[in-house]
Formats: sequence, structure tokens, C-alpha cells
Amino acid sequence: MTAHTGLLPDEWLVSYAAGALTEAQALVVACHAEYHDEMKERIADAEAVGGVLLEGVVPARLSVGALDDAFKAIEALEDEPSSVKPTAPAFTDPRMPAPLAALLGKGFDELKWGFMGPGMKKLMLKTYENGERLWLLRAKGGTEMPFHDHRGLEFTLVLTGGYKVGDAHYTPGMMEVAGPEDTHHQPIIDEGEDCICLAVTDAPIKLHSFVGRMFQPFIGL
Amino acid sequence: MAKTPENIAAPKDAPCGKMAVRRLTEERAGASLEAVKPQSGEVRNIFSARKDTAASHEMLVLRIAEHRDRSAFAELFSHYAPRLKSYLMTLGLDDEKAEDIAQEVMVTLWRKAVQFDPEKARLSTWLFRVARNRFIDHTRKQKYTEVDADDHVAHMVAPEQTDTPTLQRQYAERVSAAMAELKPAQKQVIELSFYHEKSHSEIAAELELPLGTVKSRIRIAFEALRKELRDMA
Repeated sequence: MTAHTGLLPDEWLVSYAAGALTEAQALVVACHAEYHDEMKERIADAEAVGGVLLEGVVPARLSVGALDDAFKAIEALEDEPSSVKPTAPAFTDPRMPAPLAALLGKGFDELKWGFMGPGMKKLMLKTYENGERLWLLRAKGGTEMPFHDHRGLEFTLVLTGGYKVGDAHYTPGMMEVAGPEDTHHQPIIDEGEDCICLAVTDAPIKLHSFVGRMFQPFIGL
Repeated sequence: MAKTPENIAAPKDAPCGKMAVRRLTEERAGASLEAVKPQSGEVRNIFSARKDTAASHEMLVLRIAEHRDRSAFAELFSHYAPRLKSYLMTLGLDDEKAEDIAQEVMVTLWRKAVQFDPEKARLSTWLFRVARNRFIDHTRKQKYTEVDADDHVAHMVAPEQTDTPTLQRQYAERVSAAMAELKPAQKQVIELSFYHEKSHSEIAAELELPLGTVKSRIRIAFEALRKELRDMA
């Protein structure tokens, strides 16, 4: 395994730039990047690679009149009375990356959290056709989460508070990527404020202990 | 810098007749002129636009932004629309759909020309991003969240560099050269990512490789390409 940095490794940034991530993953990566200028630069670099690849393709033949059609589309746009609707300013919250704030439209404390287990709450934001789920997880300071394995890929972005897994310490803006190879995963939440995380899971996680299994229906992860 | 741009080298697959020939002559005229004549005055139509190669693609966007300049748009269209279409077809769209989306991307360029900041992104990068998002929106009915799109850090392109097509071409050539120099195995994973939007696990399955190998190949390839990008900036 690579050293713990809490930063998503480059291969994911390349996949983001290439358009090879899922909608949920792309959302979490965009949120993650908001915390790190250097990561935004790396993503911009990967997108520049896309631009260079675009320049390098063998040009395709356009149909006759393609440019005229484009001008017609432009004229149609400009004839529209006023396509610019006054929109309400997007919701923002200093504790949230902008894409998440736009999605939620309200603060963490105004959300309808569901019970997940002692000291833990969850809120499922979205389920996707491919089986992925986008979650918010909230755990009280000091909570020890049950041991669990991952059956699929899981991205967890810390928004508030923090937690430890083994020697690795995750704080706001840090991302943990866990896969099926990460067995016996037991996050321990830092003392103090609630730890809120944005997570994408692509398969239910598997809880270890008997007690953990009893929690499974609650956790629903 | 006497290298032939790759688009000149491929007339056989290029758009037929007039267009391809025109691009060929324009590029040549441009290549010889820019050495002699670094700056020149206003540009009025598509033909003089190309002779005046002091106007980079980014500058053409500014002309659209400021003057709604149709000839600037026409020139960008003739360069980028066939490439966008080709890229979209590589991603799996049929001819008609690829052309529709290529057109949409170019119309978006017209609409958003005012927001385009040549100090923050190269035009090819910007167009790539718009095409990627439109493609995903269209084929998967999904929204691809953008990374702080209006706030891209101005790291790659020093403002004075955006103005010169020579540097711009050098840049594309150097990154392309770096691509060409990648080991075939590394190039393959980059191409599977960008041209086929394959995830790491899909690439691993297709190439029958361990997931870790795919990831490290992408990392190494990106590091090599990135070095070229950085050296140019």
C-alpha cells in the first residue's frame, strides 16, 4: 500500500479527468479537490493531457453545412428573449465543499439523519443504477465503529472531525479509499466534534462481529 | 520547431477536398509567416485570420467574446469541430450524434467565450472538458461534477505565452512526443482511460492485469506527461 497522505493518488485524478469515473465518484473527487490547490493543478494537468489528445486525433469529416448549422444554432440562441433566468444564489456552507452544498441545499444540522448504530447516523443522498450509493455518515466523537471488510470500492471524504484507521489519521479534506483488500477496517472517531463524512460505496460492506452483523440492518451499508 | 504538425500529415483521412487543402495551405502559410512576422494588425476574415498567425486560438476566443466575431468562430470551428467529432466517435458515438455534440460544444464556446480566460486554461483543455461533460451527460444521463471550473489555477500557461502560436504548438508537440515516448503498456492505459473512459478495474479485466499494475502504469505515464507540461509552463 502507498503511504497514507489522505490525498487521492494520481491514477484516480487521471480517471476523473478522462471522464472514466462514475457520477458519484466524480462528485466526491470534485469535493476532495476543493481542499487542495495542488490537487486541482494535477487534475488540470490531466485535463490538459485530454486537450492534447483531442488536438492529436485524426480529424473526422463533417457533414456539408456543419458550420452553417452551428451559426443557425447560435442565432436561435441569441433570438431567445432572455434565456438567463435570475437564479437564487447557490447554498454555501463553510463546512461543505461547494458541489455538496449545492446538492444538499441546507446545513448538516437541518438534515434528516437516520439511526445507524450507537453514536452513528447516516443519510443516504442518492442511489445509482450501477449499485453505487452516496452517503453522509455522522459519528459522535470517540465512537468506535464495528470492524468491517469491504466488498467493493469505498471512497470516504472527511468533512468535519476526524478518525483513525490503524496508524492513518483522517481529517477534513482527506479521502480514504478502501477496497476489498482492506479487511478488518475499524475506524475510531476522534474525540471532540462529530465526524461527518461523505462516502461512496459500490457494494454493501460486510461487518465482522456478531454484534456488528446485528447492526448490519441498521447500518445498511 | 520545424516539425510538421500532425494534422498536416494526415490529409488522407482528413475532411475531403477543399477543407483539408485549405487547412494545409493555411498551416503552411502560418508556419512560414510566424517566423518572419510576429505581430500584425486586425484580422477581418477567415483567410487573413490564418495568415495572421499571431492570433492564437485563445485570441480568437477573445475576439468572439468582444466582437461576436464570426470569422474567428469559423476558424476555430474548422479546426476543432472535426477533432471533437473524431474524439466523440472514438468514445463510441455514431457519426451523426458525434457531430451533434461537437456542434453543441462549439456553440457552448460561442456562448461562454466571455467566461473563457486564456490565462487559466488552454482552449484545447477547455473544449476537452466541455466535450467530456456533454458526452457523459448525453450517454449516461449523468452530471459530471466539475472541479472548480471557473477557478482553475493559472499554473500551466504564463499569460505572455498564450499569445504565441509557436509556443502553443511546441507545447502540444512536446506532450504528444512525451506520449509517443511512453512505453506501449503505459500509453495503452492512458488511451483506454481517455478514449474509452474505462475504469481501472475495467482496464485490469480487459488487459488481464492485476489492478495494482494498472494503477501504477497510469501513475507513471501521468508523471512523465506532467513533467512535459510543467517544463513548458
